[in-house]
Amino acid sequence: MATLRILLLTLLACLLLPASALAKDKLTAREILDKVDDTYRGRSARGQMRMKVVNPNYKRELVMDFWSHGKEKSLVRIVEPKKERRTATLKNGNNIWNYLPKVNRTIKIPSSMMGGSWMGSDFTNDDLVKEHRMADDYAPKITFDGSRGGQKVIEITCTPKPNAPVVWGKLVVTVRAQDYLPVRIDYHKERGGLARRLTFSNYEQLGGRLVPTTMTMIPRDKPGHSTVVTYEKLTFDVSLPANLFTVASLRSGR
Amino acid sequence: MKQLVRLAWRSIWRNRRRTLLTVGSMAAALALAVYFLAIAEGMYGRLLYQVLRMQAGHLTVENAQHLDAPSIDLRLSGVPTLRARLQDLPDVAITKELIVGPGVANSGDGAVGVAIAGVEPSVEASLSPLIHRLVAGSYLEDGDERAVIVGAELSRRLDLEVGNKLVLSSNDVDGQLVQQMVRIKGIFKTGSLDLDGHYVQIPIGFARTLFSMRPDEATQIGLLLHDPDQLSTVQRQVAGMIASNQRVAVWPWQKIMPELSSFMKVDKGSNYVLQVIILLMAMFTIFNTILMSALERKREFAVMLALGTSPTRVKLQLLVESVILGVLGCGLGVLLGSGMALATDGISLESIMGGGFDVAGFLVDPLLLAKLTPRITVGLGGAMVVIVALMSLVPMGRISRINVTDAFR
Amino acid sequence: MNVLRIAWRNLWRNGPRTAITGAAVALNTAVLIVTIGLTQGMLETTVKSLTQMSLGEAQVHAPKYREERRFHNTIQNPEAILRAAEEHGIGATARSYGAGLASVGAKSSGALFWGVDPARERAVFDLAGQVQQGSYLSEKPPPPNADGDVVREVVLGHKLANALQAQVGSELIAVVQAADGSIGNDLFLVKGILKTVSSDVDRSAAILSQRDFAELFVSRGLTHEIALQSGGRLESTAIVDAVRESAGQNEVLTWQELAPSTAQMLEMFGALMAIFGLIFGLAAGTGVMNSMLMSTFDRMREFGVLKALGATPWRIVRDVAGEALVLGLFFGALGALLGGLANYYLSVHGINLGTGDDLLLAGVAFDPFWKSTMSAEAIVGSLLLMGVVCVLSALYPAFKAARLDPVVAMTEP
Repeated sequence: MATLRILLLTLLACLLLPASALAKDKLTAREILDKVDDTYRGRSARGQMRMKVVNPNYKRELVMDFWSHGKEKSLVRIVEPKKERRTATLKNGNNIWNYLPKVNRTIKIPSSMMGGSWMGSDFTNDDLVKEHRMADDYAPKITFDGSRGGQKVIEITCTPKPNAPVVWGKLVVTVRAQDYLPVRIDYHKERGGLARRLTFSNYEQLGGRLVPTTMTMIPRDKPGHSTVVTYEKLTFDVSLPANLFTVASLRSGR
Repeated sequence: MKQLVRLAWRSIWRNRRRTLLTVGSMAAALALAVYFLAIAEGMYGRLLYQVLRMQAGHLTVENAQHLDAPSIDLRLSGVPTLRARLQDLPDVAITKELIVGPGVANSGDGAVGVAIAGVEPSVEASLSPLIHRLVAGSYLEDGDERAVIVGAELSRRLDLEVGNKLVLSSNDVDGQLVQQMVRIKGIFKTGSLDLDGHYVQIPIGFARTLFSMRPDEATQIGLLLHDPDQLSTVQRQVAGMIASNQRVAVWPWQKIMPELSSFMKVDKGSNYVLQVIILLMAMFTIFNTILMSALERKREFAVMLALGTSPTRVKLQLLVESVILGVLGCGLGVLLGSGMALATDGISLESIMGGGFDVAGFLVDPLLLAKLTPRITVGLGGAMVVIVALMSLVPMGRISRINVTDAFR
Repeated sequence: MNVLRIAWRNLWRNGPRTAITGAAVALNTAVLIVTIGLTQGMLETTVKSLTQMSLGEAQVHAPKYREERRFHNTIQNPEAILRAAEEHGIGATARSYGAGLASVGAKSSGALFWGVDPARERAVFDLAGQVQQGSYLSEKPPPPNADGDVVREVVLGHKLANALQAQVGSELIAVVQAADGSIGNDLFLVKGILKTVSSDVDRSAAILSQRDFAELFVSRGLTHEIALQSGGRLESTAIVDAVRESAGQNEVLTWQELAPSTAQMLEMFGALMAIFGLIFGLAAGTGVMNSMLMSTFDRMREFGVLKALGATPWRIVRDVAGEALVLGLFFGALGALLGGLANYYLSVHGINLGTGDDLLLAGVAFDPFWKSTMSAEAIVGSLLLMGVVCVLSALYPAFKAARLDPVVAMTEP
C-alpha cells in the first residue's frame, strides 16, 4: 500500500516536474516584458541609489532616496551632494513636479520640458513617465532564444502598439534565459538606427530579490556621454504613508 | 460751345511739339503712378486673401480673454449653434472652426516647440494656401484621425518623412500633460521659417481628443465675408448676437494680426508718398508748359482782343485747351499704366527674390499682381485733369492784363 | 568767361521765360534731392534699427555655436576681443545665453535667459531704452529687500510677459539646466517689460545681469557672444577685420551674415529704391528737358535773325549751350538749396506713416517716422544731373537752328 502511494506520488512528481519546467519555458513575451517592467518595482518599493553622469561638460554623482507605489507613482529625493540636498521629483501618472529647495518652490513640468534631461543625466523627464510601462505601449514578440556571447538569452522585439505615444520605432529587449532578468534594452528610431542602449549588470540579492543593481544608459549620437545608476538599498512591499505622493508632501521634505 | 472746343483743338495742334511734349510728360507720370498703385493693391489683396484664409478669416469669434493671453483653456462652447447662426448672416460666405494651442513635436531625433492647429479638412482644403504648397504627401481629409501636416523645416529637424510618426505633447484644458501619436500625411513648404518650422495641422476632431475638449467646444470661429468692405457692418451684427455672453468676443482681423495691418499701412503710406512726388514733378512741368505757352502767345491773344473777342472768351479758350491737354495726357497715362499692370500681372519674381519673404510671420508671395480699381484709374486720372484745369488759372489771369498796343511792339 | 557773362545777360533778356524754365529746373532738382534723401533714409533707418537695437554690426561666437547653441560652447578669452574693439573705438559687449523655464504664478513658459552687462548694453545698444513698463536692469546690484534677501532682476520681452501674465514687480521663478548638470533655479523680480523689438526678443527674452546669470546657471562668467557696434561709422567688414586677430579660433560675422534674409530683403529694397531713384532722375530730367526744349524751340525765330545777321552755326550752339549751363547751374543751385533745407527738415522730423510703435517687418521693429538722410553726394549729383540735362536738351534745338535756313527759322511759328 505505502509503496504504491510513494510510486504514484513519484510518478505524479515526474509528470508535474517537467510540466512546471515546461511551464517555466513557456513564459510568454508579454509576461517577460511585464517582468522587466517590474524589475525594481513591486506593490510598493523604496531604497537608495547612486547616479553617476559623465559627459564632456561635467561629471556628476548623486545619491538619492526613492519611493514608488506600483507603476504610476514615484518620489525621488536627492541626498548628496549637499548643495542639491532635498531637491525632489514627484511623478504621478503622466505628471511630474520638481521641488526646488533653494527657492522653496514646486514647479510642474510642462510639456515643453518633458524632453529635457532629468537631473542632468541621459534620462529624460519623459523616460521617467514611460520607463516602467513598456508592456502598455508595445506589442512584444520573442525573436531569439539561444546563446549569445556565452550567455543564454531571450530576445524580445517590441513594436509600438498602433496608437501608442512613443517616439521609438522599436525596442529590442534582451533578458537572461534563466531568470528573465534584463540584460539590455536597445531603443531604435522609426527610420532605423540605434538611438541609445540601456545595459543591466551586477546581478545581486537586494531586498530579497535578485536584481541587476547597475543600469547604464549610453546615447549613441553623443560621444562621451553615459549615465550609470547603482541601486544600493532596496526594499519591496513596504508600507508607505497614503499622502506621500502628493505635491504638499513633496515640499515638506519628509 | 462746340466752336470753342474746335478752336481750342486747332490751337493746341498748331504747336505740335509743345503739345506732344506736354501730353507725353503727363502720360508718363500718370502711367507710373497708376502702375505702382495697381501693383500695390494687387499684392495687398493677395496677401490678405491668403492670410485670412489660413487664419480665422475677416472676423474671429473667440473667448474674450484669449486675445491678450492665449491659453488652451480659454475656449468657446456651444459652437455648432453659434456657428449656424453666424452662417445665416447674409454677408458671411464661409464659417470655419479652429482649435489652436501650443505643444511639442517629438521624434527619436529631438523635440521642437510647435503651434498646433486643429482644422476642418474639407473646409480648409477649399481655402488654405497650404494645399498648393505641399511638397510631399497629401492634405488632411474628413475622417482622418491621427494625421498631421507639417512644414519642410520641421520634418528636416526631426528627420521625418511622410508616413513617419511623431508624438505631439501638450497640456490639455485641465492642465494635464497629454501625448498623442500622429503620422505625417503631408509636408508643406511656404518659405516662411515660422510656418515651415513650427506650424502643424491636425483634424479638429483629433485636436479635441488631444486637448480634452468636448464636441461642442473650439478655440475660434472664423468668418470669411463675401465683401470685405462690409466688415464693420457684420462685426456689429455679430456683436449684437453675442452681447448676452460676456465671455465671448468678436474681433476684426486687424486686431488678431496687428502686424499684418501695420505692414499694409506702411507699404501703402510709403507708396502714396512716392506717387505724390511723381505727380508733383509732373505737375511742375505741365504748369511750366502752360505758362510758357501763354507767354509766347501774348501776341496771338492781343490780336484776338484787338479783333473784338471778349477777354472772357479768350480765357475760356485757354481753359478748354488746358482741359483737352489734361484729358489727352491723363487718358493716355491711365491707359498706359493699366496696360502695363495687366501685362505684368502674375509675373513671378521668384528668380530675383528666391522664396517669398516674411512679414510678421506671414509669407509674401514673390508674385507681381495688379488690381485696377476705379479709384486708381478714374479717380487719379480725373483728379489730374482737374488740377491741370486749375493750373491754367494763372495764365488766364494774365490775359486781363494784356495791353493790346504794347503786345504789338 | 565772356561767354558765360553774355549767356547770363541773354537769359534775362526774356525774364519771364527764364524764370519759368528756371523754376522748373529748381523745383525738379529739389524734389529729386528729397526723394533720394527719403529712399536712402528708409534703408539706413532699417539697417540701424536692426543693428543698433541689440544685434550689432558684427558678432563673435565660438565655432558652431550659432548652429547648435550648445551651452558649453563658449568664447575663449573674451577680454582680448573686448580690448581690441575698444582700441579701434568700436563699442562692444559680452553676453551669455541659456534656455529654461520661466514661471510666474500658475503660468509658465519656455524662455531664453540672457546674461548681460547692463552698463555696457546701455552705452552701446538701444535695447536698454526700449522699456515699455518699469525700467532696465540696474547697473549696480540692487540692495537686499525687506526680508534681507538678495534681489535679482529680470527684464522680459513683451509677448513673454503677456504669456506669463507678468507685471513689473511680479516674482518669476527660473528653472534651468545648470552648467554642472544640476537644476539651476532662482527667484527674480520683474524689473521691466520691453516694447516690440524683434520677434525673437518679444517671445522669449528674459534678460538678467551677468552676475545673476552666472549664479543661476552655475556658469562662472562664461560668454557666448560678443556684439560689436560702431554706430554706422564703420562698415561691418571693417569691424570684422579689426577684431579678427584677437578673436583667434572664434567666428566673427557681419550682420549681413547673421541676418541673411533681412540683408537680402534690404538688398532687394535697395535695388527697388535705386530703380525709383532712376525713374525720378529721369522724370526730373525729362521735366527740365521739356522746359529747355520748349524755350529753345520758341526762340527759333531769334536764332534765324542771328544767323541772318551773320552768326556762325557754332556760335549759336555755343551761346545756347552757355545759356543752358548757366540756367541749369544757377537755378539748380537754388533748387539744391531748397531741396537741402526740405531734406534737413525731413531728416529731423520725418513723415509719419501712422504705423504706431509695434510693427515688425522681417522680424525687426519698424520706426513709424519715415526719416530722410542728408548727403552731399545727393546734392552734388542732382546738381550735376540737372546741369547736364539742361545743356543736352538745349543742344538738340540749337543744332537744328544752327543748320536751318535763316529764313525758315525766322518764320517758325
